[in-house]
Amino acid sequence: MAAIEESGGGHGKGDGKVRGKKMSTRVDMTPMVDLGFLLITFFMLATTMSKPTSMSLAVPDKTEEKEETEPLKASKVLTLFMGENDNVYYLDGVAADDDKAESSLKTTRYGYDLRNVIFSSQKRINAANPKDEKGNDAFVVVIKPTPVSTYKNMVDVLDEMAITKSKRYALVDNLTDSEKKILGDRIKPKN
Amino acid sequence: MGKVRPKKHAPHTDMTAMTDVAFLLLTFFIMTATFKSNDAEITTPTSISQIKVPDDKIMIISIDREGKVFFGVDAQPVRAAMLENIGQAKGVTFTDTEKAKFAIQSSFGFPLNQLKAWLNMPKDQMSQVKQPGIPVDSTGASELADWVYAARKADSGLRIALKGDNVAKFPAFKDVLANLQSQNINKFNLITGSEQAPAGYSNN
Repeated sequence: MAAIEESGGGHGKGDGKVRGKKMSTRVDMTPMVDLGFLLITFFMLATTMSKPTSMSLAVPDKTEEKEETEPLKASKVLTLFMGENDNVYYLDGVAADDDKAESSLKTTRYGYDLRNVIFSSQKRINAANPKDEKGNDAFVVVIKPTPVSTYKNMVDVLDEMAITKSKRYALVDNLTDSEKKILGDRIKPKN
Repeated sequence: MGKVRPKKHAPHTDMTAMTDVAFLLLTFFIMTATFKSNDAEITTPTSISQIKVPDDKIMIISIDREGKVFFGVDAQPVRAAMLENIGQAKGVTFTDTEKAKFAIQSSFGFPLNQLKAWLNMPKDQMSQVKQPGIPVDSTGASELADWVYAARKADSGLRIALKGDNVAKFPAFKDVLANLQSQNINKFNLITGSEQAPAGYSNN
């Protein structure tokens, strides 16, 4: 209701002149405020505030001629196998076809635990091995996703690489026979 | 003599200031609004990465929780051109109405042979239909690769972003990767939510 205040219309002064009633120009803003907040609520709910971020991933070219490189020494490698239910199995400095591999396969979880595993392995390997001629650290992480792992697992691991500043890592999606043997049933999809 | 009573006024608040604030906020929200797209519900994993997803010139390949693949390009003209390109390549002709309808879909997940039927549905039905996803296989020469090719032909400056659901299985991602790599696309973005970096982490 727009309040119309009747104030001093100049009546009854007796001077005979008929003056126009002075209307106050005050308008009730309440409905407008209501509408304003209604729209605000709508836009707040319909908007995604936190813009998604992105991480860039570069994968090696498949078509290009592969130049011969020295095979990685197992002692410099931390191999992570992404298993089911957010489990990570890892081999730290041991090749999968090694006799000791079976016993040294350990399990960890994503997040803090995995980070500690990477950090300690990184520290140990970098201390034991000198930097190569290009000044890179010796530490290499080989990430092996398995058919039972999820997309989230992969992003988590890549994220750990960023957090632990492991510059040299490789995403390898095929398992060797000896790796398959060690992991056994742990990576079999259950249908 | 009657008592002189103070005139009773209804309590009246001046709402003008409040309106000002409300509309200021409203303006802000309208201007910053990017609407949630209602296609394919995808919950992305989080990462500490702080690179923002580019706003324009982007194609998004989405993988939903069942591993179904959806494809979307941001600009409408590019979408129309893309449809034309793939039609030419595969020998399918699309009418102008189909093109127009396709251009307003932010993303889709249909095999090419079902696309026409979907585009000819009434609008309200289109959103109801359960999309089967774009065929993707590990050989790297499936329809997704064709779509990416068609999109890049329509606009060569398109960047590629991959958006996967938390629980999507890795093989689905691997197949998409194979399709991209078959076209020599080796660098792309993974869309993630943002997450606080752990304590002690520094960016340099």
